[in-house]
Amino acid sequence: MDTCIEKIKAICTDLFSKGEVEKVIGFAGGSIPMATRPIAVTSEADVEKLVFNAFCGLNLANYVTKNNLPKDGAKIAVVAKGCDARNLVTHMVENQVPRDQVYIIGVPCTGMADKRRIAQRFEDEITQCTQDGDTFTVTSALQQEVIAKKDVLRHNCQYCTHRNPPVYDVMAGEPVEEQILDQPFPDVDHIASMDPETRWDHFAELTKNCIRCYACRNACPLCYCPTCFVDESSPQWVGKGQDETDITTFHFLRAFHCAGRCTDCGACVEACPMGINVRDFTRKLNKDALDLFGWEAGMDLDRRPPLDVYSPDDPDDFIK
Amino acid sequence: MMGNLLEHMGVDRNRLHFSWISSAEATKFVDVVKEISDKVRALGTTKKFAKDYTK
Amino acid sequence: MNFITIDKSNWTKGIEKSRETYQIFGPVEDKNGCRIEPLEAGVQPIMDADVTVMSPKSVLFPQTETILTADLDESKDDHHIMKRAKQQYTPRAVLGIRPYDARAIQLVKLNFDNPDYQDPYWCDAYEATTFVGLGVNRPGPCDFSTSTGCGPFSEEGLDVLLADLDDRYLAKVLTPKGEAWAAACGFDAGADAKESQALFDILRKEAEKNISTDLAFDKLAQKSILDLYEAPFWDDVAFSCINCGTCTYVCPTCWCFDIQDETKHKKAARFRIWDTCMSPLFTSHASGHNPRESKVHRVRQRFMHKLKYFVDKYDQGIMCVGCGRCVASCPVNIDIREVCKTMNNYEKK
Repeated sequence: MDTCIEKIKAICTDLFSKGEVEKVIGFAGGSIPMATRPIAVTSEADVEKLVFNAFCGLNLANYVTKNNLPKDGAKIAVVAKGCDARNLVTHMVENQVPRDQVYIIGVPCTGMADKRRIAQRFEDEITQCTQDGDTFTVTSALQQEVIAKKDVLRHNCQYCTHRNPPVYDVMAGEPVEEQILDQPFPDVDHIASMDPETRWDHFAELTKNCIRCYACRNACPLCYCPTCFVDESSPQWVGKGQDETDITTFHFLRAFHCAGRCTDCGACVEACPMGINVRDFTRKLNKDALDLFGWEAGMDLDRRPPLDVYSPDDPDDFIK
Repeated sequence: MMGNLLEHMGVDRNRLHFSWISSAEATKFVDVVKEISDKVRALGTTKKFAKDYTK
Repeated sequence: MNFITIDKSNWTKGIEKSRETYQIFGPVEDKNGCRIEPLEAGVQPIMDADVTVMSPKSVLFPQTETILTADLDESKDDHHIMKRAKQQYTPRAVLGIRPYDARAIQLVKLNFDNPDYQDPYWCDAYEATTFVGLGVNRPGPCDFSTSTGCGPFSEEGLDVLLADLDDRYLAKVLTPKGEAWAAACGFDAGADAKESQALFDILRKEAEKNISTDLAFDKLAQKSILDLYEAPFWDDVAFSCINCGTCTYVCPTCWCFDIQDETKHKKAARFRIWDTCMSPLFTSHASGHNPRESKVHRVRQRFMHKLKYFVDKYDQGIMCVGCGRCVASCPVNIDIREVCKTMNNYEKK
């Protein structure tokens, strides 16, 4: 993956020199260990700022919205991992952005690292982290460790079956081998195996530290509504305090709004300051979308999402 | 899928009901509401998704 | 001002003893991270925890706090009359907070307790609270507290400052409140003042060596508000921002709140909740007009408030204690140190 960045830079330099795009949305280096920052590069000179490593865990499709596109129809380029590209496709399928205004620089991805899993291995705060291929050298005041990426892979990346962008204009590297999983949703199955009370307690425990900063929602490319239901004042759909019912309502409805649209990119969990795995909600929907409709979001520009269309074959045994 | 997610979260499926009722089917609407009310009443009170205002 | 030695083998016993007088708050760690919470009997504060994700501001200013209640039962004489909600303001001790968090509370105090207005909820909680800080021997990479007028062993706003010396704590008792707390714990082994102060000085110097950021904001006060407001860099600063409220909620000095009313049957409650200038709703008018319509406006507001408006209004430096929580928690790595530098160095062309 580290050779990708050279290809990404070469592609961007070429795009700017030919005047094909107005800007490139990518990742820049961060100011602290294990951080990156989304950036819009607007000139050839700034291409050097781009980085790509295992900490580019946010979803850049979030920065490609109706309002962010050049009004004159000029193109923008986006550095896209498999999931970012799928979310760009979702934007296009949902008529948010036109295909011809987005230039997709596809990145074959071998997964992102879980910062929390790395931090857990340390007693004190991490002061430095460098990546060399698939290993990290991580340093704190008390210890130094060499960690293999596969040991600290993010959960969603472990269960990713679309590491290569399904739609792209150019690839910044050879496609990587896709994973074939015997059990694609063991986490969902695990929760499903609990009795109802335990399941309820599981989700209550999961969200109990939620501070309602809405980072999960705002990091999600699917959440582009002009006004979110939690921000409506008249009517006010949900209370704004720390009441557990209001918190659960927010998480349940946020997740359901992603039904049949979520690509399990993991940006919500990456963004959460409290380390809440909100994917426990969305993963159930992803599993159902696959089981009931054979659907995975963002794979095809020409297929309508299952909750978008009616088919006589749709499962209907829940309607009485 | 919404019902499945709620059930996954531990909500009793018997508390959920989905029906297709046309605006012309007033009697069906009344029947369905009655049926659900009776069914849910029989299940008793729940604390799930019920805000506790006494706190 | 006196010094006390607390052997760590006596620490837990002392804390448990102090529960006769105090409700205890302190850092707790669970799988979701670290925060400051009230501790049940027997639960000990995790003194060697990393920086807590959430600051101790919630001890005085909870994220959700019922402030008024009313009875809507019209058969009662006092129906629909809002009355102050019953709260406990018995003595509480917050243990193991970092010195910069104590300074942060002093900055928040400017808002809740000033000649013009004294917020009863915050002031009562403040009066009831004893702040027991722990000097930070090894500041992390996000800590820049030496730049903001405090530092890893700052005493401002604390009643007691502890220093961790492996097998024991050396306590510097700074106020009568602190004396009362030490007495309630039964910590009474005095230590030589001169030697102890020398030890504190050594630890402070060692700790300060770990802080590499030297943040300058000396030129902010002289700059014109409008020049900074209209500066061209805001679009770049705000580009990556996703407009979540993380930075404001983890910030120990952010004090903005919203008021909400809820009623059910015959009961009504008015409560205040943290609000965030990152949310469009924060400034949304009833008319539908929003003066801070785009995220650039909101990001600019946050930094202008912390680094300019506050500086001008209170003359107490910037509204930031250098804890680095916003830097560490920001999903898109917006770094207040960089923004401060950009603002401080900005010259209108």
